[in-house]
Amino acid sequence: MTGITALGLPEARRNEAAAIFRARGVPHRRVEDWKYSDLRSALGEAGVGAGQAELHTLHLPAGIETFDLAGTNPPDWVREYFGQADRNTMSAASLSLAAGGTAFRVPKGLVIAEPLKFEFAGAGHVRGLLVLEDGASLTLVEGVTVERFRNAGLEIVLGENARLEHVRVSPNAGEAVMVEEVSVRIAQRGQYRAHFAAFGSKLSRMEVEVALEGEGAEAHLSGVALLDGKRHSDVTTHVIHRTGNTHSTQLFKHVAGGNARAVYQGKVTVARGANGSDSNQSAKALLLGENAEADLKPELEIFADDVKCAHGAAVGDLDAESLFYLQARGIPEAEARGLLLQAFLEDAVAQILNTDQRELVRTELLTALKAIA
Amino acid sequence: MLDIKNLHVAVGGKEILKGLTLSIQPGQVHAIMGPNGSGKSTLSYVLAGRAGYDITGGSITYNGEDLTALKPEERAAKGVFLAMQYPVEIPGVTTMTFLKTALNSQRRARGEADLDAIGVLKLVRAKAKTLNVSEDMLKRPLNVGFSGGEKKRLEILQMSVFEPKLAVLDETDSGLDIDALRVVAEGVNALRDPSRAMLVITHYQRLLDYIVPDRIHVLAGGRIVAEGGKELALELEAKGYEHIIKVPA
Repeated sequence: MTGITALGLPEARRNEAAAIFRARGVPHRRVEDWKYSDLRSALGEAGVGAGQAELHTLHLPAGIETFDLAGTNPPDWVREYFGQADRNTMSAASLSLAAGGTAFRVPKGLVIAEPLKFEFAGAGHVRGLLVLEDGASLTLVEGVTVERFRNAGLEIVLGENARLEHVRVSPNAGEAVMVEEVSVRIAQRGQYRAHFAAFGSKLSRMEVEVALEGEGAEAHLSGVALLDGKRHSDVTTHVIHRTGNTHSTQLFKHVAGGNARAVYQGKVTVARGANGSDSNQSAKALLLGENAEADLKPELEIFADDVKCAHGAAVGDLDAESLFYLQARGIPEAEARGLLLQAFLEDAVAQILNTDQRELVRTELLTALKAIA
Repeated sequence: MLDIKNLHVAVGGKEILKGLTLSIQPGQVHAIMGPNGSGKSTLSYVLAGRAGYDITGGSITYNGEDLTALKPEERAAKGVFLAMQYPVEIPGVTTMTFLKTALNSQRRARGEADLDAIGVLKLVRAKAKTLNVSEDMLKRPLNVGFSGGEKKRLEILQMSVFEPKLAVLDETDSGLDIDALRVVAEGVNALRDPSRAMLVITHYQRLLDYIVPDRIHVLAGGRIVAEGGKELALELEAKGYEHIIKVPA
């Protein structure tokens, strides 16, 4: 079978990725980055399997060029950008094992109002590539179908002044083990906004690495997690300020009840000479029971002098005084708790600029809150 | 309407109210005055049903019913309202959404139909106007960034919207300048009604210049130590609490 790895990717690159994955193996809890998300034990003997997963395009706005990564004769832009990201173990796994995927290109200057919608589907490994050329603008709505195991790798390249808003809602996926790695490169004054809403599964991990490569580049990451039962959700971010005068913000709000576990690991690196960089990182979690767990790990790595970096993390439970206030006004306890949880999550949800998507996330949260509060 | 008999309340194992007795009839306004630490706020929280306040003796009867057996939200639906000394800020819930949710929760508990969004808006707007509560305040998250005066005006607006049978005002005058105090007092006076009882809790006599009570009780050391008409407030103002409180320490 001629997979994408033989075609969309030069043989040498595929071998490199395969070697990386072979050397590291499936990550487990003794690997620092995977301490709170033991992929090896979640997968058990079944392991990572082969690459059978696919990318399904649900809505393709006019003007976007696509390329089936399993096809032959990739265009120049695919040759140039595809398969660059493999420093991440699981991304290396999908690069070497995936047999399906799609690449998208939004041409220079094209501003698209309606969202591009796609979802990764099926079990196994899959890749995606999204290139926004200079001045292009797009909203990406990423859906998630539930499978026993899937490992998806998505590369995003934003040209000068390009703008992308990426919204991903991953539903309550029960026993599924799902990992995804997103790698983003941003040129001068390009802007990447992302919101990840997660309802968890047996093991569910969203890992995003953003490189702010050009002056004035911006990344704004936000997300919510609402977990109950034995569900798990991990969002791991790494924002790298490679150049000066770059700006990043992160706002994550997690709620965990039952025996659930919500993980946030966020690293911000400011490279040598990236003066004038500005980064703000905030992660908060609410625990609804004694057996729920939240792990918040913000990290800063600064090699430049003149930077502004703030980070904060806090784990708490619902404020008893607020709860009493609402009850004393006649709002029944369960509803009052729901209202306070909704309020807790709201500022992260409010980061979504696309109105339809913002409302959709709110609605999903409300439905889930009724069950959890 | 409200009968408190020999009420003993402990907070964290420490007895705060030590045999308080008080009775209020519909249409009456009673004031409770007392120095700091006398148990004034404890009384207000116990009436509203806050957790952590253990009733170790005595009874609270409200319209013939044991009030202490009810949850805070059940008390609210039955017409008990506490205007709080420190209204909480709730980011992420707009004031209007909160008012609508609370009003309809109370209505539902009484078996009444929900008011739709427009109905609530009309009702709230009409009442907000007289209390100088701006449209902007209604759109903002509940109490977030409100000044002390704005928070207290919003408490009175809620009282006006919910139309309680028993209103307890806990130090509603604290943190208010004289103009804000007047607005709040006028709002309270407008709600005086033959079917409604009010319990005004305050440290200072000042508020009682504006909300003239039918009866004043002086609370000290967890008990009522003096009672009288509105002139008692003036006496307290002139001579101080020390003069009137003659309870052993």
